[in-house]
Amino acid sequence: MTQLIAAGTDVTVSKRLAIAAKVKNGMIANSMSLAVLCVLVYFSFASPHFATAGNLATILVAAAPFALIACGQTLVILTGGIDLSVGSVIALAAMSGAIVAKANPEALWLGIAVAVAAGLVCGAINGILVAGLNLPAFVATLAMLTTASGLAYVVGGGAPINGIPAGFGAFANTTLFGLELPVWLMFLVLVVFALLMRRTTYGTRVYAVGGNITAARIAGIKVRGVLYSVYAVSGALAGLAGGLLSSRVVTAAPTLGAGYELDAIAAVVIGGASLMGGRGTIWGTLIGLLLIQTLNNGLDLLLVPSYWQSVIKGALIAAAVAVDVFVARRKS
Amino acid sequence: MQLHSTQEYPDRSPDAPVVECRDVHKAFGHVSVLKGVDLALRSGTVTALVGENGAGKSTLMKIIAGQEAPSAGEIRVGEKTLRAASVREAREAGIAIVPQELAPIPDMTIYENLFLGRELKGALGLLDRSAMIAEAGRLLREFELVVDPRRPMRELSLAVQQIVEIIKSTSTGCDVLLLDEPTSAISEVEVARLYRIIDRLRERGVAMIYTTHKMEEIRAVADRVVVLRDGNLIEDRPAGEITDDQIVTAMIGRDLDEIFPEIPPPRDEAPRLLVADIEVEGFGTPVSFSVRPGEIVALAGLVGAGRTELIETIMGIRRRRRGSVTVSGRAVRRNDPAAAIGAHMAIVPEDRQVAGLVPRLSILENGILPRLSRFSVGGWKRTALARSRVTDVMNDMRLRSASLDQPVAALSGGNQQKVVLGRWLTDRVDVLLLDEPTRGVDVGARSQIYRIIADLASSGMAIVMASSDLPEVLGLAHRVLVMRRGRIERDISLATTTATAAQEEIFSHAAGFHASPR
Repeated sequence: MTQLIAAGTDVTVSKRLAIAAKVKNGMIANSMSLAVLCVLVYFSFASPHFATAGNLATILVAAAPFALIACGQTLVILTGGIDLSVGSVIALAAMSGAIVAKANPEALWLGIAVAVAAGLVCGAINGILVAGLNLPAFVATLAMLTTASGLAYVVGGGAPINGIPAGFGAFANTTLFGLELPVWLMFLVLVVFALLMRRTTYGTRVYAVGGNITAARIAGIKVRGVLYSVYAVSGALAGLAGGLLSSRVVTAAPTLGAGYELDAIAAVVIGGASLMGGRGTIWGTLIGLLLIQTLNNGLDLLLVPSYWQSVIKGALIAAAVAVDVFVARRKS
Repeated sequence: MQLHSTQEYPDRSPDAPVVECRDVHKAFGHVSVLKGVDLALRSGTVTALVGENGAGKSTLMKIIAGQEAPSAGEIRVGEKTLRAASVREAREAGIAIVPQELAPIPDMTIYENLFLGRELKGALGLLDRSAMIAEAGRLLREFELVVDPRRPMRELSLAVQQIVEIIKSTSTGCDVLLLDEPTSAISEVEVARLYRIIDRLRERGVAMIYTTHKMEEIRAVADRVVVLRDGNLIEDRPAGEITDDQIVTAMIGRDLDEIFPEIPPPRDEAPRLLVADIEVEGFGTPVSFSVRPGEIVALAGLVGAGRTELIETIMGIRRRRRGSVTVSGRAVRRNDPAAAIGAHMAIVPEDRQVAGLVPRLSILENGILPRLSRFSVGGWKRTALARSRVTDVMNDMRLRSASLDQPVAALSGGNQQKVVLGRWLTDRVDVLLLDEPTRGVDVGARSQIYRIIADLASSGMAIVMASSDLPEVLGLAHRVLVMRRGRIERDISLATTTATAAQEEIFSHAAGFHASPR
């Protein structure tokens, strides 16, 4: 091999080496996108049902509520916090929305509005606890997780809510240009948040607060306001997700959304965000989300038992963060 | 508590060096930090190791303490060459280091910290807590610390934690104690106590290295002065045979006059900044002063005199209970940095890593951080405008960077400082507050920063500069306010006072009764 490349072609050798190094760096930098690609290719070969338009649409519909809460979670994690409450907030919002929709058959949109409002209130309380009372985010949102979960049962008197007018299902089941409304909503929210983080001063404030809270304060940024807002946004998005989930099945159960917060946090972390704050992107979160959702779907198609799915997901989260740590160390 | 080191090296004559560095080199990649340093320490002496940041002081200390391996050269104790980068062997040879950043275990008690890793044990190998408490109490009393050894470390001030660290090192029988900028975080009363402890250790025959860049400390503790510059040993003389000017010249490599620009006199106008009756948090006395356009006022004083606190109170970062801050005739709302920025004030904080910059964000984003509203319309960032303004300013500052999109963490200390200062200049600034503007900045960038400060003053800014660097205070300021315990002790006009007289006055007022040099 070395003999084939004569001395006169040193330039091309170094060029090739440079390209190889670039490719290598590019692969490491985009390791998660590559992982998603590999998973897509693998399932396409492994299951004839995977790479069909119908199945891809299914993946997107399943991803939609996760995308909403993962966007909120990204903002919270960027400030160095965490929101453990989103799963129960989904349940509480869905239950509240369902009751209101059932009571107001002539104005079903009220159900969705109440769900968002309920989520916003929960998020605002998280914000007050963290930004106003300086509680650690982990503790504040853990308290909200328990409280909201309990309230979800209280609201429905301990039972699911059935008998909602069928029209309530229109919000999550209407198809527009071949895709269902929640999918469009997911795209909209992702684009809006990606722009918010990159193109607005609000985004810069969030990164600054997470990256160095003292420097942010000295630069005149209202740190409390920023912290408060990310929890409120996260809560409102969880409320919206709750409304959509109950509209999807035209019913609401107090167990809805249980454990969703873990998938959302996993998506953010797989997407390269640092739990210490200051680092992470909406784009990264989207990649993390797609990886988890594709795996869920593909493993279902391959009839892998759900407990093995958990094992695989767990290993994946550890691997993703290990790669991330490795890349960060190589850079410094 | 055995003194193993002296037993291991019994045939050491009293005049032989306790520890010796021979032709020590150190390079990180292509950057040479130490270029062949020879240094021998004798017992019962204090060597002040002075030099600018980046001169190689800390690296040399780490190599002696076995924390880092030299690229070439050796550390010898008696006849023996220490294994490179072996903390354990250095410790066994009697070398201990008290690092600048202490690392106690805050939730453990004092005695638990003191005996960490060498706990006293009784029968059955169980911990003998009462013996440890008694022994710890004895050691603390010996070092004038009246404190219960059962108290958790967390409750102690940094200075007391530092002394506990010194006790921990010396009680295991060290012959060589390396103190890395020991006064960087402690108050003046505590500095005096530290001096007494150093004296006591000297009497016991401990050889000490004390790194600092402060003249008053050199004069207070050192028997001998060793100056490092760019990794070379420039001066090595008994403290009595070298003048302050000679030390400074050796540190910076040229005469002072060359690095300080010409400063035009302040404008004969009404004060631009008026500070009236504000209290520095933690001290009770109100502080008042004023600064005219074009005037540079230095805040001098010892560590803990309240200079940083005063500047942060003026900027609204610290709570202000009473008094007023007025800029160009308008009162500034208190406790609100955004209001201070709106009143055309700017601050360059003491520690740019902690308070100045967001390391992961780019130069551009750090550049617009204090003026986000100016660079946005309805919350939407005006990236093109921001880029052109930040580019202009950073060119004026002669910032050296690959591009504005580089993370600011990748820049050198001097260039980071240019970003911290330059980012305010994208808009009007009337009052500039500088806190240790050249800390951690190399000599080249330093004179550039002085030039910039002088230019800003001559453009009509009122500048307040807190500085522990006396040459900087004397070379740059029109007026010096000497602070002590949160109040202004003295207001010295440098136009009417000679440098030597000013220097003496600053010392005596800053230090109270501790000013007399050894």
